[in-house]
Amino acid sequence: MKIDELNRESEMIYSGHNACPGCGAALAVRYLTRALGTNLAVVLTASCWSIIAGMPPFTALKCPVLHCPFPSAGSVGSGLKRGLNAKGLQDTTVIVLAGDGGTFDIGLQSLSGAAQRNEDYIFVCYDNEAYMNTGMQSSSATPYGALTNTAPYPLFKEGQKKDIMQIMAAHGIPYAATATVAFPEDMEEKLKKAKEISGFRFIHILSPCPPGWGTESSDTIHLSRLAVATGFFPLYEVRNGVNWKMTVPTDEKRIPLNDYLSGQRRFKKMDEPRRQILQKEIDRDWESLMKRVNNSK
Amino acid sequence: MPPELTKETEYYQCGTEPSTANKTGEWRFLTPEKGRKLSPCRQSCLLEGEIPLWLEAVKKDKWKEAWQIMSLYNPFPALTGHVCFHPCIENCNRGQLDQEIDIQAIERAIGEWRLANYERLVKLKEAKGRIAIVGSGPAGLSCAYYLNEAGYAVTVYERSKLIGGMLALGIPDYRLPRKVLQKELALLQEEGIKFVAGCTIGKDLKLTELYDQYLQVFVATGAWFSRKSAIPGEESRGVWNALDFLSMINSGQVPAATDPVVVIGGGNAAVDSARSALRMNGVNNVTLIYRRSKVEMPADPQEVEAAEREGVELIFNALPRKIEKKGEVIRAVLLDHCKTSLEGLTVDCSRAFRKNCGTVIMAIGQEADLSVFGNMEKPTTLFAGGDLISGPATVPEAIRSGRLAAAGIRAKIEGLPETEPVSAEENPVLFSELNLKSKINLELQQRQADPSAEAGRCLGCGSCTSCGICYIFCPDLAVDQIDGRYQLNPDYCKGCGICVKECPSQALIMKGGR
Ligand SMILES: Cc1cc2nc3c(=O)[nH]c(=O)nc-3n(C[C@H](O)[C@H](O)[C@H](O)COP(=O)(O)OP(=O)(O)OC[C@H]3O[C@@H](n4cnc5c(N)ncnc54)[C@H](O)[C@@H]3O)c2cc1C
Ligand SMILES: Cc1ncc(C[n+]2csc(CCOP(=O)(O)OP(=O)(O)O)c2C)c(N)n1
Ligand code: SF4
Ligand code: SF4
Ligand code: SF4
Ligand SMILES: [Mg+2]
Repeated sequence: MKIDELNRESEMIYSGHNACPGCGAALAVRYLTRALGTNLAVVLTASCWSIIAGMPPFTALKCPVLHCPFPSAGSVGSGLKRGLNAKGLQDTTVIVLAGDGGTFDIGLQSLSGAAQRNEDYIFVCYDNEAYMNTGMQSSSATPYGALTNTAPYPLFKEGQKKDIMQIMAAHGIPYAATATVAFPEDMEEKLKKAKEISGFRFIHILSPCPPGWGTESSDTIHLSRLAVATGFFPLYEVRNGVNWKMTVPTDEKRIPLNDYLSGQRRFKKMDEPRRQILQKEIDRDWESLMKRVNNSK
Repeated sequence: MPPELTKETEYYQCGTEPSTANKTGEWRFLTPEKGRKLSPCRQSCLLEGEIPLWLEAVKKDKWKEAWQIMSLYNPFPALTGHVCFHPCIENCNRGQLDQEIDIQAIERAIGEWRLANYERLVKLKEAKGRIAIVGSGPAGLSCAYYLNEAGYAVTVYERSKLIGGMLALGIPDYRLPRKVLQKELALLQEEGIKFVAGCTIGKDLKLTELYDQYLQVFVATGAWFSRKSAIPGEESRGVWNALDFLSMINSGQVPAATDPVVVIGGGNAAVDSARSALRMNGVNNVTLIYRRSKVEMPADPQEVEAAEREGVELIFNALPRKIEKKGEVIRAVLLDHCKTSLEGLTVDCSRAFRKNCGTVIMAIGQEADLSVFGNMEKPTTLFAGGDLISGPATVPEAIRSGRLAAAGIRAKIEGLPETEPVSAEENPVLFSELNLKSKINLELQQRQADPSAEAGRCLGCGSCTSCGICYIFCPDLAVDQIDGRYQLNPDYCKGCGICVKECPSQALIMKGGR
């Protein structure tokens, strides 16, 4: 990313959108739309982003937006791309933008269907790790040990975060990648790559959410960086479901997960044994990821 | 703008108006603001220059702007670019990353730009009044520059035939090319400053006469009285004091010197005398003798190193007892061993030794010579500065003193507020406080030869380097880029504080309220 080349004209979102102060999701969409250029159409499922995008007559996106029902993102994306092709508008890039709820849970079947058919669009999941727009209910993307409004203290989120990347990779899609807001260059590069590939592409973006996570709005970038440095959210890409490659190398010696957890109110009451469990889970996932990466070399 | 959707569009048009109509800045209850904090370089700069700001201008190749920022604190970067001992560089935060910024090289480049691109100041038709300055060293010249710029008619009186004080008479030309000094002086004359050379105030003219003829007087006669050591033989022919010796060389004369030459002292005057002597015809052996150890030498270490490299022999922990002569001819210096401890200097008189020589240069310190004041009664206000007041100091300190005197004189005459110097108590931004993790594209890099590239290495500790990180990380696109500068847009800033936290330079602060 050349800073001198950045200007308001190259951005695909407008100021005055409705995201909370410090919203990682707003930033994620800002980066990814900029990477994809102006010939773009966006499908939005019910989520924070359906609010961020604005109430008619206002819009925060400089491209056409199609709002769709919660579970149907995968199918609506397929339909829109095929429709545009039928009208001779093959050049338009279609992206589906869904939250973790709309991806990991309620949208999973239509997503899986579209991936299996290798539909020609980019599915972006901005993952704020809960149903934030309706008030922070747990989703299958919520990490183990977090407090949510469906798992209030003394309860806590049980079960581990669903490994959506392995699910998507198992579909053998041409391109899948993770990204997060502290690494805009990495995100931009991945979207540019994705744009050049045809078929189903999946991007999973970790998007810190200050009110939902109970963090300072100013900590969004800092947390996103820590998520990578601890190995909680490694940055990598997968080609054709088998070729795994790290894009932002994390040190062999990852920093302790606690550094990431400690600034967040949702983990504040998490006791030490649970922290250990989560750390072990991260370590195990990291090792299995490294195996996949090494096997791809 | 969103793409135009035509009537035939088959889907329902929702948003077509940009959300910019929505002034989300109203949500804010904290406001980020550019708040320049003190950088370590500026804190250690002897004239308090806004170093990161002029580095930033050079980085963008904005030389005129760089000169303008520079000249607020230092009108002679071409001079300090050669002779300042640059404490700024020693304290540069970038040193903890790879290598300190070569601040002085960039300063010199700004000075050279200015000498090549000089534009005459636009002046008032009639001067605000006449000011006299006594002494044409850096303190006098700096005061003259600022008062002239402010619209006064300035006359500088100088005892010597040469203008420039120590710059002309003390500092050797291999350290300060005289072409640079001449050019600088020519520009001051071009600006309308008058120089009266060869006029000793207190002798040719009385200081009181200047007070009668001028609105105000600034006295900056330096510290030209050479201290005596009171050892036998000091008054002999063939014994020089450093300032006389250097002044002669620097005014094109050849002081008598017989090989080998011994220089006594450990300051800059001693090192300059030694190096200058070594450059003279017929002198092949120069020894510098200092009573303390090497690390205790007040001279600039780089100068000492250069002297050693050129072949000056250094003797430490030795105190002269006597200058020995055969008839009228100097033969040797008799020395005692001595060492420094907490109690001071202890001399061991039991093991005296001899250093043969034909010439001795005494460089054991200077003091102010107060004869300029004669037996004048105290005036109501007296403006004086430079080495005269501080004792032997440095060129940048003299420049600073001249600048402050000019502000004081203006304040007195015009009833203006005096400029506030930066307070030394303020803590500079530490290396550990910089958020270098957020600096996208930060690479380790050694010094660059090109001034703009070198200035581009500055981390801008506490002030904006226009790196654009705040622009990149703002979720609300509330940072505007205007003419290569970044500015917060109050209409859309929600006050999340990401920019304040992520700014690699710590150039932003959060202020309460909107
Ligand atoms: C050999 C030597 C090398 C040095 N090298 C460096 C260096 O590399 N870097 C650095 O920063 N500093 C250096 N210094 C220190 C620096 O030169 C001085 O601190 C600085 O010049 C002081 O400036 P000033 O204007 O107060 O006085 P000066 O530069 O001493 O100027 C005073 C002027 O007043 C004139 N004058 C005196 N009496 C009268 C009178 N009665 N009437 C009219 N005129 C009078 C003198 O002739 C002189 O020109 C060096 C000093 C010496 C001696
Ligand atoms: C079928 C259906 N069920 C429930 C809702 C209510 N709803 C709107 S947004 C939302 C939360 C979405 O969560 P997620 O997909 O994670 O996006 P986020 O709000 O976190 O950005 C819900 C439950 C709905 N709009 N439609
Ligand atoms: S609730 Fe979270 S994800 Fe939703 S707009 Fe606010 S900060 Fe963004
Ligand atoms: S990096 Fe720049 S601002 Fe910081 S100390 Fe060095 S020169 Fe000064
Ligand atoms: S982030 Fe960069 S451009 Fe923004 S205020 Fe800090 S130094 Fe200036
Ligand atoms: Mg969510």
